[in-house]
This record gives sequence, structure tokens and C-alpha cells, in this order.
Amino acid sequence: MIVGEQKPIAEIKEMVAPYKKLLVLGCGTCVKTCFAGGEDETAVLASAIRLVSRKEGRTIEVEELTVERQCENEFIQEAAEAVGRNDSVLSLACGAGVQAIARRFVTKPVLPGVNTTFIGVLEKQGLFTEECSGCGNCELALFGAVCPVTRCAKKLLNGPCGGSQAGKCEVNPDTDCAWQMIIERLKILGQLDNLRAYVPPKNWNTSTSGGPRKLVREDHII
Amino acid sequence: MQTTFTPRITIFYCINSFTETSSVFCEIENQAEITFVKLPCSSMVKDVFVLRAFEADADAVIILVCPEGQCRFVEGNIRAKKRTTWVCGLLDDIGLDGRRLSLFNVKSGDEASLEKILDGTLSVLEELGPSPVRRN
Repeated sequence: MIVGEQKPIAEIKEMVAPYKKLLVLGCGTCVKTCFAGGEDETAVLASAIRLVSRKEGRTIEVEELTVERQCENEFIQEAAEAVGRNDSVLSLACGAGVQAIARRFVTKPVLPGVNTTFIGVLEKQGLFTEECSGCGNCELALFGAVCPVTRCAKKLLNGPCGGSQAGKCEVNPDTDCAWQMIIERLKILGQLDNLRAYVPPKNWNTSTSGGPRKLVREDHII
Repeated sequence: MQTTFTPRITIFYCINSFTETSSVFCEIENQAEITFVKLPCSSMVKDVFVLRAFEADADAVIILVCPEGQCRFVEGNIRAKKRTTWVCGLLDDIGLDGRRLSLFNVKSGDEASLEKILDGTLSVLEELGPSPVRRN
């Protein structure tokens, strides 16, 4: 899932200051799970904006709505009437959702209320960890399904750096050493021989280094 | 404790920790306007309920929860405590002052503690004054 974090009130307050009617638009999928932009967070932020505006003597009407996903037109459509009633939209979706809303409602200012941070996993309630960088060329099969590109601070592809202590990364002792995890996992799988394979330098053309990416599934396009 | 204005206090409470009929409230009736919100468990105090109490002109919000380890739903009071801490930070960010929101662990029928809690809240409000977003 995409993990994000709501922006600080001070930043949001400045962004919405020029507008009189604001729609706080939540997204009910990824950012809901990470408590950044679901129905509850939308209600809290709308209330916070009303309070901060009242405190500063500014008049603003704040409407709130949450759609299932802001990155799909079918769901975006459900917000059309509410967007029409307001003069700006504060989107609590990830960056993709914000842009999808802006593309659909070209005359409305669409503001980001969330900092999109990473693609991650829900470890336990309230704890999310980054696991994937979306590099566009997944080699997890080699590494026992532990991604060194994302989880090794040095992004090493051919074995550990030698700096880890008691299984913890020397860059950040709060982080488990990715290579320790890779080796342990390969041991369990009986695939330690994978470590003999030379992994060539990564071709970053498939990542964002090659510009914005596009996925085309011709079989689904009519 | 007498304040220079009539404070409005909203009290969210767990039905297992407190009853509205407490004599303490009769005593401070002329010092503060109190609104009660009864909940089956303090874990039901969502962030937005607290903010909406302030939108509805409360000067302070008190959350009364069972003593730790005595929640009928095991961890409801711990959840309420964590949420309260978070909302206090949010109130500071908004500029309302997080001290307007407080949570207390109270045993059912503990009138003395209740009296202290209300007195403490009135003292805080005397220092802070009415909520800056209160409309009347």
C-alpha cells in the first residue's frame, strides 16, 4: 500500500487561506489504512480547519467527503457535485490521487493535504515500514523476497557491507540489516547458493530516472 | 474555584467509571455549564468528537475513564489516553492550547477525585480564559 502522512496544520492553514469554500476530500483506500486521509481523518481535519479559521477570524465553509479511491475516475465521479459546490479541494489522497482529481476538475485548485511517503507494509496497528521502491525491475526472487534496493541503506546488491552490528544497520541501529535478513531467509529456503550469483549494477531506466512511467495493458483497453 | 467567566465544560465519560448524578456537579452548577456525553467505553472518544465539542463552544473537555487495568474492554482507557495526547498536540497546533483537554482515570463513585478534577479544570480555565473560538 501507499503510505502517507497528513501535513502539519500550520502548512494546511496557509494553503487554504485564500479560499472561502473548501472541500476536504478523503480517500478510502491506502491513506485510510495509514490514518492519513480516510473518513475519520477527513472529519478531524475539516473540524481543525474550521477551528483554526474561527480562531483567526477568517470565514471558511468546510465540507467533507470521502470517496473509495481518488485515483480512479469511477470513484472520482462521486465527488463531482461536492467539488462543484466549493471553490477549492484539499485532497487527502496520495500524490497520484491529488493529480487525478486536478485532471478531472481542471478549473478547481486542488491542494495536497498529505505527504506521500513510501510503498509499505502494515507491520502492526500504527506501524508501517517501507518495503518497495517501485524500481520497475523486481529481483526479489534472488534475495529471498527481502528487497536490498529499499531496505538496505546502501542499496547493496552483492552481499552485506560488513558494518552491521547484531543484525542492525550501521546507518540506523533501529533498522534491521537487510542483508542479514536476506541470508537468514535464503538459509531457510536452502537457497544460499543465490549469494554466489553476481548481480550486475541495477539498470535504473525502469525507475523514475527514465521519466514518468506508464503501464499499458492492451488486452484491457477498448 | 470561581472563574471570571462562566466556563463551558464538556465531559465525555465511560459509563463504567462515572455517573452524572454525582453530588459534586450540584455544587459547581453555578460556576460552570457542563455538558455530558455518555459512552459505553472511553475508547469511543474519537478525535473528531473532542474537536466538535470545541466547535460547539466548549472551553474545556474532560474525558473520564476507568483506572488502568480495569477497563471492561481491556484496553479502551489506554486507547483513549493515547488519542487524548494526540488531540492535545492538535489543539496546540490549532492555537487552542492542549491544556483545554484532559483525561483522568477515576473509579466509579470516587467523589473526592472528581471534585479535584473539576477544581483543577476551573483553575486551568481561569488562567487560559474562554476558548478563543467560543462564539458567545
